[in-house]
Amino acid sequence: MKNTSPMPVTIDPVSLEVVRNALTAIAEEMSMVVMRAARSPLLREAGDHSSALTDSQGYLVAQGADVPVHLGVLSFTVREFLARVGADRLAPGDVWIVNLPEVGGNHLPDVKLIRPVYRDGILYAFAVSLAHWADVGGAMPGSYFAGARDAWAEGLRMPPTRLVAGDVMDDEKLALILANVRGPAERKGDILAQIAATTVAARRLDELAQRHSTNWLTAAFEAIHDRAERQMKDAISAIPNGVYSGEDWMDDDGHGGAPVPIRVTVTINEDTASFDFSDSADAVPGPINTTRFIAGAAAFYVMKALYGPDIQPSGGCYRPLQVITRPGSIADAPDDKPVVGGNHETCQRLADAIFHALTPVAAAQLSAGGPTTAGLVIFGTRTDQGIATFYEVHPGGEGARIDRDGMASTRVHLANVMNTPAEVIETEYPITVEYQKIRRGSGGAGHHRGGDGIIRAYRMRGVETTVTTMFERAVVPPYGLQGGEAGALFEARIEHADGTVQPLRGKQNVQIGKDDLVVVTSCGGGGYGLPVD
Amino acid sequence: MTGWRLGIDIGGTFTDVIAVPPTLPTGGGTQRTAKVPSQPQQPVNAILDAIAAVGLTWPEVAEIVHGTTIVTNDIVESRWRPCALIATAGFSDTIEVARGSRRNLYRMDLAPRPQPLVPASLRFEAVERLDHEGRVVTELTDADIARVVAEVQASGVDTVAVCLLHSFRNTDHERRLGQALRKVIAHVSLSHEVSPEFREYERMNTTVLNAMMMAKIKHHLGLLADRKPDASRLHLMHSASGMASPALIAERPLMLAMSGPAAGVAASCRIAADLNMSHAITFDMGGTTTDVCLIVDQRAQISVNRDLGGQRIRMPMVAVDSIGAGGGSIARLVAGALMVGPESAGARPGPACYGKGGTLPTVSDADMLMGYLNPTRTLGGSITLSAEHATAAIKPLADAMRFSVDQAASGIARVVHANMARALRRATVERGLDLRQFDMIAFGGAGPMHAVEVARLCGIARIVVPAFSSGFSALGCVEAVMSYSRQTTVGMKSGAWDQAGLDALLADQTAELAAALVNAGHPRDGLVVRHTAGIRYSGQSYETPIEGPNLADPAALGAQFDAAHRALYGYATGEAWELASLRIEVLAPETAPQARPDKTPSSATIVQGTRRMVFESGEAVEVSVLDRDSLPPGQPQDGPLIVEDAWSTTVIPPGDRVTADAAGNLTIEVRL
Repeated sequence: MKNTSPMPVTIDPVSLEVVRNALTAIAEEMSMVVMRAARSPLLREAGDHSSALTDSQGYLVAQGADVPVHLGVLSFTVREFLARVGADRLAPGDVWIVNLPEVGGNHLPDVKLIRPVYRDGILYAFAVSLAHWADVGGAMPGSYFAGARDAWAEGLRMPPTRLVAGDVMDDEKLALILANVRGPAERKGDILAQIAATTVAARRLDELAQRHSTNWLTAAFEAIHDRAERQMKDAISAIPNGVYSGEDWMDDDGHGGAPVPIRVTVTINEDTASFDFSDSADAVPGPINTTRFIAGAAAFYVMKALYGPDIQPSGGCYRPLQVITRPGSIADAPDDKPVVGGNHETCQRLADAIFHALTPVAAAQLSAGGPTTAGLVIFGTRTDQGIATFYEVHPGGEGARIDRDGMASTRVHLANVMNTPAEVIETEYPITVEYQKIRRGSGGAGHHRGGDGIIRAYRMRGVETTVTTMFERAVVPPYGLQGGEAGALFEARIEHADGTVQPLRGKQNVQIGKDDLVVVTSCGGGGYGLPVD
Repeated sequence: MTGWRLGIDIGGTFTDVIAVPPTLPTGGGTQRTAKVPSQPQQPVNAILDAIAAVGLTWPEVAEIVHGTTIVTNDIVESRWRPCALIATAGFSDTIEVARGSRRNLYRMDLAPRPQPLVPASLRFEAVERLDHEGRVVTELTDADIARVVAEVQASGVDTVAVCLLHSFRNTDHERRLGQALRKVIAHVSLSHEVSPEFREYERMNTTVLNAMMMAKIKHHLGLLADRKPDASRLHLMHSASGMASPALIAERPLMLAMSGPAAGVAASCRIAADLNMSHAITFDMGGTTTDVCLIVDQRAQISVNRDLGGQRIRMPMVAVDSIGAGGGSIARLVAGALMVGPESAGARPGPACYGKGGTLPTVSDADMLMGYLNPTRTLGGSITLSAEHATAAIKPLADAMRFSVDQAASGIARVVHANMARALRRATVERGLDLRQFDMIAFGGAGPMHAVEVARLCGIARIVVPAFSSGFSALGCVEAVMSYSRQTTVGMKSGAWDQAGLDALLADQTAELAAALVNAGHPRDGLVVRHTAGIRYSGQSYETPIEGPNLADPAALGAQFDAAHRALYGYATGEAWELASLRIEVLAPETAPQARPDKTPSSATIVQGTRRMVFESGEAVEVSVLDRDSLPPGQPQDGPLIVEDAWSTTVIPPGDRVTADAAGNLTIEVRL
């Protein structure tokens, strides 16, 4: 099957599926390496990481572990990286590190390692490993600083930096990074795992290039893009032509502000679609701003979930999609704005706004509003061994649908990270879980009821703990659909050892002490249709 | 040994049996095999039929080992017996809180996961609390035991599962509750007995599933006991590829969850040992799925977490990965790419070539047109294959791709092979192994047809198609040894090594496992104990498995771990580590009889004829069809060839070569 001639290569339907399988297998192998070898709790079975292969231009051709929010990121990361670094500065055996949100990114904790892949001196692909580090420095353990007013407060900012040259680690750059993050030994483990993933990918790609040729592979990459483009066009064609507007609201930015509008205008024209978020609010002082890449991720997710679950993530998907953001807005914030929560909170609201917009033409396919928040609470406790950072997500009630009730205790849409078992928490952190219950009756009423949220209570065993919250749906509830009622609001509070009770806001950092109890009460899902009685 | 030994595998459709005579034949042919229809409603009758089918009566049988899909089917088909749950106060909703994740990322229409196994009305709480080291925080009082037992009784169920927080660290509270419950409730399952590991949701769900299966399995075992002569022994094939006594299975029926696949894996382990394979991967391709399992150093790889029918099960089981592709998988063109599966034509209507009304093109239809399937054979006595129907199904697909029908058929095969190669790679990568080190053991209806091209894609150079490939699982049953294994959480850090504590844990767990074997009549000093340590650097959550760990010397153990980590990931940091878990296996390696097919050595290959075949290139060639039983041992023959017997077809493409051995196994050398 060797084809080294310069003749144009055609990729038939069989070869296309065969090569797609081979490339996906490589990306999956990368993800397994990261999952098994990395240290940050989020990379564990929860799987807050992604792997991808791109063509030589940086367009995605395959992805491993499928975290929807990362799709938007990895679809742009290598292209933005190339726009800044330039292919002529890259060399075989390089691995670069980057986490700047403006370089095809989202927030600082999601660190990307990028390896250019060569054969016979020709750059033909990139392997990228993205992983959410448990800490990337900044003001607070876990690198979520609710009080942040600028980008520098959020942690170590890494522009594209060559960390490995000629397959040898640059120990000085590594030391610089490790000196600026909490848990340097664990972070080193994460970096090594991510590099190992890109190394495996390069080796596998080389085997593939050997079997075919880089020329053939490049043609196959193009065929993959073309196919994804066709799938996306088919999906768009299923929606009636028209202009659809929707809005939803963020609770606040953590700095005492009012709810923040997220607005979208969706324009469907035959087989193209545009998603214009320009009417959304201006960038806010607090850390719920986000990037245009995240806006792309939200648009892509909605199209896939509503109209084409089988659409292959690839650079070609974005060809018929136009995602418009207004520079300076919350969805395309200036580079100096804090963004840490925007990655999973604002991102979900961008998707909610699109769902609202499409309600007139898709009510039968939509779920009512669910827990479109990570329900994030981070505990940073000082111990003899340093600062133990426990990062936990809280699922809520799924929104009801036209044909069924919502399910209790579920993550929806762009996130799917699992919770941490009580027995693991008590073993690894100075925290006791007092109870975990279903929050009965919290789902919105309706012809079909929204799912119920949960209640979980954490007792502090450490003397001094910093609690960080980053949740939404505490002011603006998960919406009902077609007459169904909204789900109950997200709530959290501290029951102090002395008996006083202190409500927690959605974006807050507070110091608490031994025996204080943190109670997290997640939101219910919205109901669907008018309640029968 | 006096009396016959029988391996009986009760599958979904057929029950296979192999009977090994009292004294092993050195040359004569007295082993017997048979196939009878399974009787899902009356599994005991299938066993009686199987005994009769090999011309025996039960009193002539010294021992039966049987594998069964009873438990598997109930789980996959969600047949649940109402079950109460008792949890630590504040944690009975854990069964519903679960882990909060959903199964399908992009399918909002599908329920995120199955409904909780226990409804809220059957969840009860005991006032008690242990901490993470097993110390009592709140004592469980006798009064509270009485209260909660009365509540469960009042609910009217006869089945209850108990899962208290941290109970695997200190079993006292669960034991006391269990004692009280067993006086009044028929079926009681305690979490520290079923799955003594941390992570309360997984332990709870596993314990509930185990409880739910108890009534049915006890009933089945009771019927068997009624029919069985006292002198005849009976064992069951459990999920970790060993056999277990009925007494243990009655308490741990969930050990049968993977009984069927485990039997096939056991037979493969035996083949790997016979042929001296250090690394082997099984390739069992059937109608709707293909099962693969890794065998390293003649031992099946074991996993402790598995989703079966959407339910999370945590106990040691053979690490069989099921790929949703088989003979019935449907091919279709999706946005310009040829996709195959996971939709399947199933048994009804079945592939188009069965002529039972199927019109969509399947892998079997492609096999038919490529000459993989013998057009003159009837399947199961009733299905006559039809090339016309196969052609009619594939033609529209071929036209849409601007391919000939032959090219389309071979294209379907190529896509299936790529799917399988990806799945095989995933199975090895997950465990940090390199596929190219492996040999393949191919069986199942379609396994020997498709094995060579899959092996080639994976860089696998040698394939063995075992003798007995029909009834292979029954062979696994008859050759199984008694073994019980259990994985337990340890959580001991290298910097805080507690040798005495570890020794005590080892002694306790080993004694408990050994007691079950001794009770089943095996002498204690004949038992063999194997350990697998799960070690990780602090902060990692995946453990690196260390076989044969040095548990008496932490420094040596650390060196074993660093070496294994380096081999897996290319680096080791030499930092502090943790002995996270320990799997203990106790087995009774008494001589299991070696069942071997009896064949008369042949001197001349019988050519049954020729058949038109299509290989990956899409070109058609006439290929000789050889009678499998007539292949002279030790004489290589070059492909393209078909080797066939009454039960299986093995395809050897051009450039590859096949050799039979004296035992009737085929070895294929794959050109890479």
